[in-house]
Amino acid sequence: MGILNWFAKSAPAVRRLPAGSFTVDRHGNLMTTTVGSEYPQWLLDDTARVVLSLFREARAARMPLTGLDLNFAGLHIAAREMQGGAIIFLSPQNLFAPLLSAESGRA
Amino acid sequence: METRDKILVLDDEGDWLDVCREFLTLLPGKPDIRTVSSGMSALSLLDAEPFRLLLCDLKMPRMDGLQVLSIVRRRFPELRTVALTGFSDEDFRSRAYALGVDMFWLKSDMQRNPQMFLECIESLLGQEDGVGVRDDQGKNLLDVIRMELALRNSSVLRITSGKQVAQIWIKDGQLIDAQVEDADGEVAFGRLLKWKSTAFESLPAEPAHVQTIAKSLDALLLESVQTVKKTDYATPAQVEEQTKFITRLTAVAYEGAEFVATVPAQKQDTAKGWGIKDVDRLAAWVRLAEKSAQRLGEEFNSGPLTHIVGHSLERSLLLVRGNGRTFAIGWPPEADPRRLFEQSINLAETWAS
Repeated sequence: MGILNWFAKSAPAVRRLPAGSFTVDRHGNLMTTTVGSEYPQWLLDDTARVVLSLFREARAARMPLTGLDLNFAGLHIAAREMQGGAIIFLSPQNLFAPLLSAESGRA
Repeated sequence: METRDKILVLDDEGDWLDVCREFLTLLPGKPDIRTVSSGMSALSLLDAEPFRLLLCDLKMPRMDGLQVLSIVRRRFPELRTVALTGFSDEDFRSRAYALGVDMFWLKSDMQRNPQMFLECIESLLGQEDGVGVRDDQGKNLLDVIRMELALRNSSVLRITSGKQVAQIWIKDGQLIDAQVEDADGEVAFGRLLKWKSTAFESLPAEPAHVQTIAKSLDALLLESVQTVKKTDYATPAQVEEQTKFITRLTAVAYEGAEFVATVPAQKQDTAKGWGIKDVDRLAAWVRLAEKSAQRLGEEFNSGPLTHIVGHSLERSLLLVRGNGRTFAIGWPPEADPRRLFEQSINLAETWAS
């Protein structure tokens, strides 16, 4: 039986792309989330940090933004500014869900 | 005694005539503005009354603007002409300038830069006939050349402007050579067209003179007009750059973008902007956004970054990659969000090509 366990350990884990939304305050602290708990929180924290930093730097560049969409081949991240914090939507893209890209509309 | 300049506006759209009238009443000279909606009416009115300036739409039913301008050019050589069109078509622009119009404006540019438009009109109205204006002198000289060509004459025209002397050789109604100082052929003719205050005399023909110009007069004029607003002797590289510049701005106007900035990946390479003042700040943000997004993409394992969209009440900002650079394109709030990605890609491709 030991030899079967040995084979089982070698299978790589496949992580699904996250789906759902979460809100963060102005300091990037996670307030609420609908993203599955199996997903590591540090990734959500990092996403929030990037989004808040881009909002902040856009203001500094005199190009203030209220919404931001990051479009990847497999994932669409849409962020909307909320009183200094943000609400962030994570939508996996697949063949049955056309790329949202600019079609997602403005804030 | 009537001293106000008279301006005639020709367009088949009544609303646009109203817009023009409103614009032109802002001119300090308070010109007398008349409007007509057909080429025939315009020609009748020009026959009946002296006008200083004609603003002519190009796209009209029956007699189009180019036909009107071609007739006006022959019948009213003193009349200033401005071609207006809603279509950013290079062919229209070239043909209008070949007909000798003083200015060519896109209607969208006119609405976007009303002040500049009015200044241009004011400048045209302020020009005195035949005094120090390149176009006027060019037309006088051109009239003589055209006449020689039309009559299929053979002659040599000696042209002087101050201490400068030039010669043009015409054989059997064809322009065969020109000489100005150290230049000859097409280059010399191009320079000659920029001379001011020219005087000329006709010399006996030289049938044995060697032909160096093969192009038609219209082709030479077209080339000259396309470079007239640049430095007098633009290098081919400058001409190419200018052509690119016009093509790009036309693309921006056509797609309806507010501004375009090109941001190279390397920080030490300069970012360039059209329609935006502080391109360096924007470029810094664009680099940050791309770098941060790419890092996030790697963490999520979500595939390559395709594009980034920023929204605000004032505009939408799209970042797309092309030709080794990132294009940051600003779109007005009324732009259709469903088409922005496609439009941005189109604009970036035109720009890069």
